[in-house]
Amino acid sequence: MIQPLPAADALKPMSPLQVRQTREFIDNLASEAKPYWDMVEIGDQLSRDLLLSAELVILYADGVEDFNPWYEGWRMNSWSIDGESPFGGAIVPPLLVSHFVLSVQFDATRPFSIGSIHTFHDSEILAPIPVGATVRITTTAVDKFEKRERRYVRHGVTVTDVESGILYFKETRDILSL
Amino acid sequence: MDGSEPDAPVDLAITRDTPVGYRLQSLKKKAAIQLMGSRLWGRFNPNHWDPVYAASTGLKAPIQTGEMSSAYLAEMCVNHFGAAFFQNARVVCKYVASTHADEIITTHGVVREKIPKGDGYRFIVDIWAENDAAEKKTVGWVEVDVGV
Repeated sequence: MIQPLPAADALKPMSPLQVRQTREFIDNLASEAKPYWDMVEIGDQLSRDLLLSAELVILYADGVEDFNPWYEGWRMNSWSIDGESPFGGAIVPPLLVSHFVLSVQFDATRPFSIGSIHTFHDSEILAPIPVGATVRITTTAVDKFEKRERRYVRHGVTVTDVESGILYFKETRDILSL
Repeated sequence: MDGSEPDAPVDLAITRDTPVGYRLQSLKKKAAIQLMGSRLWGRFNPNHWDPVYAASTGLKAPIQTGEMSSAYLAEMCVNHFGAAFFQNARVVCKYVASTHADEIITTHGVVREKIPKGDGYRFIVDIWAENDAAEKKTVGWVEVDVGV
């Protein structure tokens, strides 16, 4: 039996206007969607630079309710601050850059990749990243494989400091594709 | 400071003397739909925040990005390892089941092994995140140098 779709406001209150705006946003995303498997070839390499601004770090940490003061290069009322950590000034949370890898491996200039799920990461945190650094995230598609009738795309990742060249972070990660 | 000083709270800090079998202090988090769908986290993919879209792709409810679960586990590890978790550490996580909206997630960690290294040890800690029904959502391990 086909289950009826849940209401758009099943999990949080929404007015009819908010429901309409949500549907429009999603329809735009879905109209150009393709499976990730079809969008990636082994050897594909992509790279983008990301400024790890104090505000970006706060947005990340607030989303997972991690209120460690080491990550604060911005504080309400004081606004921009140097911050404090065992390494001097504020640093970024240990897995923050891992979250932004998807913005590189899922080429932002191409259609939305429908139905993709991140399933695995093996991450090496090599050195603390100061808040305010600009990092270069480079992803390389190293494998495409099928396992238990599911399709996966594997990437190798490096994160380096754009100015100093310091290698901050390395990762291998898998995406399950439709 | 260069990150070599003790920094985790004394009652939580993992030191050379911490034994195999030591249990890390858990954290509890709620998979709140408003956070799952925030711009920085899941807004780019409606499977992370829209019940209608999630149902159309076969999900019983919107699912958290796996990286939120990894971040919870990392927070637990920073509580115990402090600065050591930011230098030459390794985090391996496999997302074995989806975390659905409104679930309560608890993090866990148990020291599995201590491998002598330099003046200290490389600690291997099994980590996982599970819901209130003890269903594991994320499993893996971390490796961290302590007192090396």
